[in-house]
Amino acid sequence: MTTTGAPPPPPSRAIELAVRTVTPVALLVAAFLFFSGHNQPGGGFAAGLVIGAVMGLRMIAGMPFPRNPGLFLAAGAVVVGLTAVAPLLWGDPFFDQVVLEWDVPILGKVKTGSAAVFDLGVVLIVVGLVVAVLDGLGADDLADRVDAGTAR
Amino acid sequence: MIWILLGLHVLVVAALALPGLALGRRALLVAAVAPAATTTWALSRLSADEPATASVAWVDRLDLELAFRVDDLAILMTLLVSGIGTLIFVYAYGYFSPTAAATARFTTTLLSFSTAMLGLVWSDSVWTLFLFWELTSITSFLLVGHKDVDPAVRAAARRALLITVGGGLALLGGLVVLVDATGASRLSEMGPVTGTSATVAAVLVLAGAATKSAQVPFHMWLPGAMAAPTPVSAYLHSATMVKAGVLLVALAGPILSDADGWRTLGLVLGLASMLWGAIGALRHVDGKLILAWGTISQLGFMIALLSIGDAKATFAGISVLLAHAVFKAALFMVIGEVDVRTGTRRIDELNGLARSMPIAFAVAVASGASMAGVPPLLGFAAKEAAIEAVIKLDGADPWIIGGLIVLGSTLTVAYTVRLLLGVFGSGDGPATEIAPLRPAMAGPSAILGVLSVAGFVFIGAANRLAIDAAAGLDPDAAAFQLYRWPGLTTAFMISAGIVAVGGGLGWRLAGPRAPVPEPVAADLVDRIVDGTILGARKLTGRVQHGSLPVYMATMAITAALATLPFIGAVDPDAVYLWDSPAQGALAVLIVGAAAATTMVDTRLAAALGLGAVGIGVSGLFAVQGAPDLVLTQLLVETVVVVGFVVGLGHLTRRFPSSGTQWRVIRLSVATLAALGTVVGLVAATSAPAGEPPLQALIDESVDVGGGNNVVNVILTDMRALDTLGEVVVLAIVAVGILALAAASSNRRQQEAT
Repeated sequence: MTTTGAPPPPPSRAIELAVRTVTPVALLVAAFLFFSGHNQPGGGFAAGLVIGAVMGLRMIAGMPFPRNPGLFLAAGAVVVGLTAVAPLLWGDPFFDQVVLEWDVPILGKVKTGSAAVFDLGVVLIVVGLVVAVLDGLGADDLADRVDAGTAR
Repeated sequence: MIWILLGLHVLVVAALALPGLALGRRALLVAAVAPAATTTWALSRLSADEPATASVAWVDRLDLELAFRVDDLAILMTLLVSGIGTLIFVYAYGYFSPTAAATARFTTTLLSFSTAMLGLVWSDSVWTLFLFWELTSITSFLLVGHKDVDPAVRAAARRALLITVGGGLALLGGLVVLVDATGASRLSEMGPVTGTSATVAAVLVLAGAATKSAQVPFHMWLPGAMAAPTPVSAYLHSATMVKAGVLLVALAGPILSDADGWRTLGLVLGLASMLWGAIGALRHVDGKLILAWGTISQLGFMIALLSIGDAKATFAGISVLLAHAVFKAALFMVIGEVDVRTGTRRIDELNGLARSMPIAFAVAVASGASMAGVPPLLGFAAKEAAIEAVIKLDGADPWIIGGLIVLGSTLTVAYTVRLLLGVFGSGDGPATEIAPLRPAMAGPSAILGVLSVAGFVFIGAANRLAIDAAAGLDPDAAAFQLYRWPGLTTAFMISAGIVAVGGGLGWRLAGPRAPVPEPVAADLVDRIVDGTILGARKLTGRVQHGSLPVYMATMAITAALATLPFIGAVDPDAVYLWDSPAQGALAVLIVGAAAATTMVDTRLAAALGLGAVGIGVSGLFAVQGAPDLVLTQLLVETVVVVGFVVGLGHLTRRFPSSGTQWRVIRLSVATLAALGTVVGLVAATSAPAGEPPLQALIDESVDVGGGNNVVNVILTDMRALDTLGEVVVLAIVAVGILALAAASSNRRQQEAT
């Protein structure tokens, strides 16, 4: 499979455990960055990078991860495209924004809008890009071992 | 009604395109319903006083609209497009064998063409006209290339497409100029124009017309297009599509006839094509090619008449257009029938068909005589009107234009006689064996053959069509008419002379002749296309050599060379050391890490060095108070580290050693890139374009986007279109990477097996 270098070392238990612990935390961080982006540093691009990094870590640890970047890319492209053209259906200009604001118990005043949907598309595309790059860099043999059930 | 008829066409096309509808060639009969309905409507409109109109706006402010206006000329054209079209569909039913492949595709394409052609002749808005003009080019390309397994057919179709679409571009340019000069986008609202812009429009419009109507020097696509099935040739290449150019000249005549160059250029194009086409028709032995070259000649005749700008000549041009559509479609049909029933259409191989194919013979004689201008036929009346018009012109025109038209007509008689003798005459050898009669083929051609006669017998009907149509272009044309028997006028004497001389010439030239090679020009188009493709392939091989270092160097050098010229914009006073000493410390870190990266010899160390550079840069952002950038930069660094960990396992631990020479080159490129970057940055900060509208941005961010993070509101709201573009670029990059990875993994698998 590989043309140069030594065969990749077997994934270590310690790394696997660490990645297993980090995954939910990182996803939470990504969600936080996504929602805080409206008023604080963060946003879709940052959230996408965090998720992408987690995917990379799982790749290294030989753990399962969504192996279809094309799906992310397609979904993201559809979401951003639809947010762009949807206002036209109501006779509003291209990319017109809708801001929603309502009171939610515990959280208080929540403000969101179509910009968040657009940002979600950005997240999906960034995740797709990162996974595609890492996959292209040669994670295939790591993943092959996962598929073959020999990862542990 | 216009919408209903167009809708009916589209509906039938859609219905016939349904998968699983295995009608075979019977689909052609179903398709004939749409043109038949249109013909009926057109006949009912003959006595209408007001043109039928319909329009729907698309972009008001750009005057973009679908606008139709069916006046008398359009009715005449409709009768050709739909009337002959109906016959063609029936004829095609006979032409194809019951087991013929791809008849569904053929039927839907042919009906699509029919639709486009109707849209074209009904158009009032020039933009509508252009749209349908291009649609006819595309459907014609598909129809010519129907037998797509044959490379020669594909080449012919491509040639036809390139020439007609190229002419379409010229036409678009001409229409833009025309709309600009007249201030109207509807043909019916355009007044006459003069001056430079009118001349430009005239040249461009004539170029468009000349490509569509296969006029010299753009004629080479038409003989090649004879590779199409014969129903297509009979329909597109005689009665309809090639007439679009003539129609365009007719429609633009009233607007552009005063423009310098319009008359001269139109006459030169038309007369040159009339003569060159007739000569071409005399040189070929393939019956279909003879007709194709004859079509070039006849179209030239019409364009010449319509360019003269004289009411009687315009009337004669329209009459020839009507007569030609009837007789040429019939002749194509006959040749197709001969081809199907004998297996050949070469005049030197056919023998004795006059006896074995009496119906076809009768149709061919009637239509051929009409083409040659022999009484008592429609073509005779039309040609009489033309000669009558030309000899009444002023000055030297009767001698020059008239002389050339007489010469062209003589040659026309000659090739007609040669064709008829060649196909139907009896020679020495045994009579050609023939397959049984196909009524669906003989019927439509017989109807058209009878029409050539009927148009003369009931000349009032033909007159009404031609006079009304011509009067729409030039009101004075209403004073003229076609005559059954003009009396012993000068024109009649000339006609008699033409027939006598041409007939004798044709008699002499009949019989087997050595086939002549295709004219150079046909090759030329193909060679230009092939050369372009070959050149592109060579250039790609040269540019896309696959060496990553050279790609990188090319990009870096190009970027540096692009920014270095701005060195003149650098203002030395704008350069200062730092905003805060922390930047100095960070700069030391960044430069040190970068320098270390170039010196270490293991890949992992270099990756770490690059990470340090990135973190240093994010520190600079932090000092400047840009937390968004810091966050993004740090996250990118993180992902890059993960990427290195994934990728480094596949590479050697150390960098391969490279020679000193290579190091020097890399050092120079790096220095150049650094200089370029510095110059670009300093030049940009030297000339600030006013204070940045900070407060305005913040206000708008809260107001419009409802968020306090200005950067993100700009990204997702105020400048969402830019972001859309960027994420699309990201997605394309990702798809490219996926494709590359898939390709290399395929290659590895192939090598492994």
